[in-house]
This record gives sequence, structure tokens and C-alpha cells, in this order.
Amino acid sequence: MDDRKIQIVIDSLWPMIKAALQYTITLALISFVLGLILAVLVALVRVWKIPVLNQIAIFYVWVIRGTPLLVQLFIIFFGLPSVGIEFDPFPAAVIAFTLNMGAYNSEIVRAAIQSISNGQWEAAYSLGMTRGQALWRVILPQAARVSVPPLSNSFISLVKDTSLAYTITVVELFQVAKQITATTYEPLLLYTEAAVIYLAICTILNALQSVMEKRLSRFSAQ
Amino acid sequence: MIEIRNLHKSFGSLQVLNGIDLSLEKGKVLVIIGPSGSGKTTLLRCLNLLETPDAGSLQLGETTLEFNGRRKMDKQKVLKLRQSTGMVFQSYNLFPHKTALENVMEAQIVVQKRDKEAARKRSLELLAKVGLSGKEDAYPHQLSGGQQQRVGIARALATDPEVMLFDEPTSALDPELVGEVLKVMKELAAEGMTMVVVTHEMKFAAEAADKVVLMDGGVILEQGPPQKVLQNPSSERASQFLNVLTSKE
Repeated sequence: MDDRKIQIVIDSLWPMIKAALQYTITLALISFVLGLILAVLVALVRVWKIPVLNQIAIFYVWVIRGTPLLVQLFIIFFGLPSVGIEFDPFPAAVIAFTLNMGAYNSEIVRAAIQSISNGQWEAAYSLGMTRGQALWRVILPQAARVSVPPLSNSFISLVKDTSLAYTITVVELFQVAKQITATTYEPLLLYTEAAVIYLAICTILNALQSVMEKRLSRFSAQ
Repeated sequence: MIEIRNLHKSFGSLQVLNGIDLSLEKGKVLVIIGPSGSGKTTLLRCLNLLETPDAGSLQLGETTLEFNGRRKMDKQKVLKLRQSTGMVFQSYNLFPHKTALENVMEAQIVVQKRDKEAARKRSLELLAKVGLSGKEDAYPHQLSGGQQQRVGIARALATDPEVMLFDEPTSALDPELVGEVLKVMKELAAEGMTMVVVTHEMKFAAEAADKVVLMDGGVILEQGPPQKVLQNPSSERASQFLNVLTSKE
């Protein structure tokens, strides 16, 4: 590699990392947390079969899982303004990714809650706990452990999917790589550099997953 | 202490309890026996409303409930009734993510809102009572079945229930571990705890019960003091069942 190329890699490193910190990771974190709250609510509506809400939840999961994320992004950012609903790029991306995470993760959370034996609910009830107390103190802590691996999977997917936000002009990591490529004409170099940064982020997330699994499984024989 | 009148319960088209009348005085031990499918576990689960009866009435301590089809029950009454009972399950149902001590503390903190220190002190006493001092920090999977069931008893006692309910507490245990659980139960009975026990342990019934109820097909076939019900039952069906049980021992 000649000096010019090395210089391009070095010069572009900080702008890319900055974009990753400012947009990629922020977008992923905010959407994941909001999406997880939504997912737990949707999962509970479905586990408890709450009338009307249950049908709405089923419809929501069906639509989100059955349509491409890119199309959802475009509908929210480019489509909704024509009916008078306008978002800035970043909030539009947060909405799209949150809705997406909410749908996919609700199935993970639902399966995790249902994997906890009915005897646990009964034990909590027999001690005089309300349904909310049983859920919060007994069921969710156990469900959390079961759902760490699949939820980590979804978070890692999300981090990479945030690159789609470049299409609605969010200046995230991939957008920056694209912009620098446009002025330097080094697509292989810069897209590879972007890929390495994504890989580094996901490697850290993998490590965090292991730590969380260890922490949550201290009570278990498996 | 307990007064049951004309209790009915069915699952779909299956009539599980078909008019149960039963009463128990404070400080007495009631043992319910009967073949599987006789409704004895359902009856026990109706006492703390893990099952909701379809018809009849239940009085337990100061709480009285009338059941009338699908009508929703008063939530506060349900919680109150559950707080005045403690239940021990066949498969223990300990909270696997909490230590023995935390299992016993949990309801005191969450339900009774005791402060942590008081709950801790009470839990240590209860674990000592069931012979598990030194096992406070063990998680359920690190304990034997008999030890887990004794934690289950301590957990149920922690909320100071007026009545203790036991649902086949020794059925899931290896034979050599049954004794340690029955010993704790006998001690409780001797202290004057009001107890309702569903079990197949005839020796326990003979030694600890004040009253034995033999159920079959959702009705009470026999009831009375253990000597009478176990040794001198009045119905043919009852003596058949008792013969099968004693020949197994």
C-alpha cells in the first residue's frame, strides 16, 4: 500500500469513528432500549391475551416482520410528509428501528416468558403477590436470562442495519465512508475500513453478551 | 378456621369437585387422601384460589368468599386470602434465581413490606427451624430435593399464614429424603399450626392427622378421625383403596 492510501485510511479513521459514536451506536442503543420496552409490552399483551390489544399486537408484528426495513424507513421519512407528518432524519430512523426491534424482540420475550414454568407464577401467587409483582420479581428475571442470547443477536443485527439510515441522510458510519469515497475514489479501501469498524463494534458486543450470560446464569446448574 | 360449603369445580365437561362440605378447626391437621383424579389436589388449590371454584362458598379465617359461575372475584379479597395461607408444592417451585435465604425473604419484602433487616432475621430463624442453617446462600439447584422442600416450607411460613397447605409434598422425593420433610411437618403440627395435607403417606396420616378425608370422584367418601377412616372405613370403595395403598407399603 502506498503512502497516499495509508494517509487516506488514517485521515478517515476519526471521522468514521466519530460518526459511529455519534450516530451508529447512539441510534442502535436508543432504538434497542425503546424497542425492548415496546417488545415487553407487546409480549405481555399476547401472553395475557388482553382483548383488542392482542389483535392489534398480532397485526403490528405481522406487518413489521412482513415488510422490508428499508421500505419502512422510506415510508416514515419520505412517505409520511405527504400527509403532513414530517420527521428529521435521526428521529425518523429511531422510529423505524424501534418499531422493527419491538416486533422481532416481542417474539423473543414472549417465548422467554412462556418458557418459565407455570409453577413459578403459582408459587408467587400463593405468597400473595399480585400479577405485576410476580412478573417483575419472579418471571422477568428468569426470562431475561433465557433471552440474552437471542436479544444479543438482534442487537448485533441492529447495529449493522443502522447503515440503512444513510438512505435517509443520517450521517452515520457508512454515510461518512461513502462521502470520503466520493472525494478520494478509493471504494475498496474505505468500505473495508468501515467494515472493520462495524466488526470491532460487534466484537465488543459479543464480549458483553458473554459477560451478561455469566452474570445471569450464576443461579443455574446448566 | 376453614369452612367449605357445597364446593363445585369443573374443567370443561369434567366435573372435578362435586359438592364438597368440609370444616376444620384452628390448630388441627387435616389429611386428604384418595386415588389420583379424585379431586384432592384441586380441592387444596381451591383453598388459596389457584383454582377458582364454580359454585359454593369458602371461609378461611376472616375471609369469606361466595362463588358464582364466571363472576369476577374481588382482587383484594383474593390477595388477603392468599396471604393468610402458605402453600408447599409437590415440585417445590422455589425461585431458582434466588438463594435459599432470598426465597424466604421475598414475600416478606414484596408483599408484607417488612424492612430488609427484619425479613432477613425472620428468614434465618425459619431456615434454622427447618434444619437448614448454613445453607442460606445456596441456590435451589445446589440443594437436594428434601432440602429444597424444606426451603419451600420455610418460604410458605415466612408470611405468618394462618393455614399451611401441602400438595403432595413428598411425592417428588427420593424415599430416603421423605423422612426429613415429614419430620418438619410433624413439628409444625405439634406447634399447633393449622394444616391441610394432600399425601399418600399413610403413616403420616395415622400419626399426625386430627382428621382424615378420603376423596373419590370429586366427592368425600369418608371423613373422620384417622383410626376410623384408615382402619375401619364404612364403604366398600374406601376399603379397596386403602388395601391397595397398604399392600404397596
